This record gives sequence, C-alpha cells and structure tokens, in this order.
Amino acid sequence: MHSSLSNIRLAGIAVTTGSVVRDFIADGLAAGLDRAALERTAQTIGLRERRVAATGVTALDLCADATERLLAEMGLDATSIDVVLFVTQTPDHAQPNNASLLHARLGLSKSAPAYDLSLGCSGWVYGLHQASLLCAHGGAARVLLCAGDTLSRLTNPGDRSADPLFGDAGSATIVEKTGRAAPWHFVLGADGAGAEAIMIKQGGARQPTGPLTERTDADGNRTHDANLAMNGADVFNFTLREVPTAVHSVLRHAGLTPESVDALVLHQANRFILSTLAKKIGVAEARTPMGVVERYGNQSSASMPCALIDGLGERLNAGPLKVAGCGFGVGLSWGAFAGELGPLTIAPILAFPR
Amino acid sequence: MTRTEILAALRADIDVLAPAEEATVLGALPGWDSLAILLVVSHCEHAYDLEVRGPQIRACHTVADLLDLIESLS
Repeated sequence: MHSSLSNIRLAGIAVTTGSVVRDFIADGLAAGLDRAALERTAQTIGLRERRVAATGVTALDLCADATERLLAEMGLDATSIDVVLFVTQTPDHAQPNNASLLHARLGLSKSAPAYDLSLGCSGWVYGLHQASLLCAHGGAARVLLCAGDTLSRLTNPGDRSADPLFGDAGSATIVEKTGRAAPWHFVLGADGAGAEAIMIKQGGARQPTGPLTERTDADGNRTHDANLAMNGADVFNFTLREVPTAVHSVLRHAGLTPESVDALVLHQANRFILSTLAKKIGVAEARTPMGVVERYGNQSSASMPCALIDGLGERLNAGPLKVAGCGFGVGLSWGAFAGELGPLTIAPILAFPR
Repeated sequence: MTRTEILAALRADIDVLAPAEEATVLGALPGWDSLAILLVVSHCEHAYDLEVRGPQIRACHTVADLLDLIESLS
C-alpha cells in the first residue's frame, strides 16, 4: 500500500536504552564457545556490545523516560499531546495496553486516546504512518509515538543465533500537524505466510501455557515455545526480497532516487544485513547509518529513531534532510517512508536508570 | 558461469568454503553453520541475483550438491 500524507512534521525524537552492557565476545567465552569462532561471527555480522534492560525495567519505563526527556527538551507540557500510540510486543501486561499506562503516568488529558500497535522491527514506520494520518486527517495536532521492546528477555541463552543480537530500548517521537510541509510517502506491506520465521509460540490465547521442552537445532541452538525463535536464513531471504523493492517504490513516489537522498535509515538488524541492503538499494554506506547495532544491539522498533539520533542527530537538528527509511521484521511485515525530516529536536541517547 | 567458476567464486568469497572441493562434505568443514549458510545466500544474491533459501542449502550434503542447487536455480 502506498500512502502520501501532507502538512505534518517530525518535531522531536528521544531514545532511552537499557543500562546493562553485554559484550558479545565475553558472553560467548563465558558460555564455553571458541574465541576464533566468536571473533569470526563478530567480524562478519558486526556484533560487539548491546545494552539490555536492568531487572524490573520494561519497555514502558524506557519509553516513559524518553518521553519525559523529550518533552523537557522541547519545552512542552504533556497535556498538549492529543494522542498516544505505543508500538510494542513486550507490554507490561496482557491488559491494559501500554499506551493507557503511559497516559496515566504522563497525566494526559482524558480527551487524548491511547492505543497500542503490536509490531516489532517494522513498527516505528507503522507508528509514524498512524501518527501522520491522525495529524493529516484525524483531528490531532500533536501525537506522541512511543516504540520499544525488551526482546533480550525472550531469547534462550542457549540460542546463539538469536540471543546475542538483541538490545532493549524505548523511543519517543513527536509528530505534529503543520501548515507548510511537503508530503511524506509511505509504502507498507506484509507477508503473513512467512509469519513463523520470527515467532514466540507460547503466551497468547492459542497457546497460553504448556510444557517448555527445549529443542536443539542442527547448529546446537536451544529454544522452547516461550522463546523468541528466528529462522535467520528465511528472515534474510525475506529482507533481501522485500526491503529494496519497498525502498525503491517509496523513493519513486517521493520523486527521489538512491543517489539524491541525504540518508537511508534502516532497521538496525545487524551490520551484515545493513551493508547488504545498502548495496542492493544503491545508497552508499556512508549515507546509511549503521553505528547503532554494534553498540546497542538490535533494538526492535526503537532502532530506527536510535539510528536517526546516532547517525544524523546534528544534521536533523539543523535540517531539513531528504531521508528514506525502512523497518522490517516480525509479521512478516515492512514499512518504508521517504520525505523531508528536520529541523527537529533531538534528545541524547541515554541509559535508564542513570 | 561454469561450475568451476561458481566454485572458485564461492571459495574466494566465503572463508569457510576456501578449502572446498566438489566431494567435500559441507558438515565436515570447520565453521559450516547458520552464519555460513547466510553467507552463501548473500553470495548468490550478489553474484547471480538468485534467491537461494536456507533449507535448500541445509539439504545439500556435499559441495557438489550445493553447486547442483545453484546451477538448477540459475
């Protein structure tokens, strides 16, 4: 689906990460793995450090911290927010949704609706699209979009294909209605037939509880039904097949080309995927921020705002920049956008608790 | 691209496959794991614009089987 929305602006972004630093090589050695093999993987995939949430800290806490810092940086009162959206797959509770809990924590007006979107690594773009719709056509002047997860808690320590990848983070993004901005373009899509490539089988209504019997795959990785399990090769095939097509399509709609965009911001899955995608899309690596994943890990729906701050923060603050981006992951789903971003308020990436 | 050239390109691009001959059993190569499979997927994508899927590669017993697979998809 292509969607074009006008008279909206990205007003500010903040990201809060978990506070616990995990080192890929040290963790692997502690698990009894061979140093040479670890270094080969670290070099090829681009894994070094990640930040995970401290015990008891949730995606809601991380997003609340990012929101409070962003509102302070922008000099805004929370009561000026018309809608709060929360993109997460790791909510505090099965009910109510995280957006309602954040609504109470921030003291938002009762006239401000609050709802969640259940999406992972593509979710920030879906949230941005939803926030943009609300500002362009839905009667909202200012939307708070929170996106974050604590996926590091869902992997099995015995699954070396998934466990070392994930960091925990929460983001806050403010989208506003404005009278002058050029349109943003979105291309959103899904391939539900591939859903089992990234899955946590247990914990929903279909399979709420049950015995947790560990399975071991051909490479010796262990998972059970309550773990986040990922078929890396299938996800890689999906990514190479859909993401370049979506980005080229959204660029075409925006009247841009891979050569003319100032930056390409992709979900920070890992450096290997980022580098492969940049090459296939035709945007130079120098214009594709890749620094997040090696320092913070794969932060699910918070990774794109984190990449915007980490790779482009000062330039976005001065803005505008012609930016294209794409999130991709669980669903399977993808969301690409293109348009002008900035000038906007950037709050620094900080850990919580500090 | 001949079969010999496909093998030479795989050996040059993917360290794990550097010592590979047609008769080599993939599982016997040190470092032949899910990461190596990703590298083969990526190599085929870049070199031949081919979508080779992980389970197809996992089903290959020897390097010859892998070459058969790539040729069959080309």
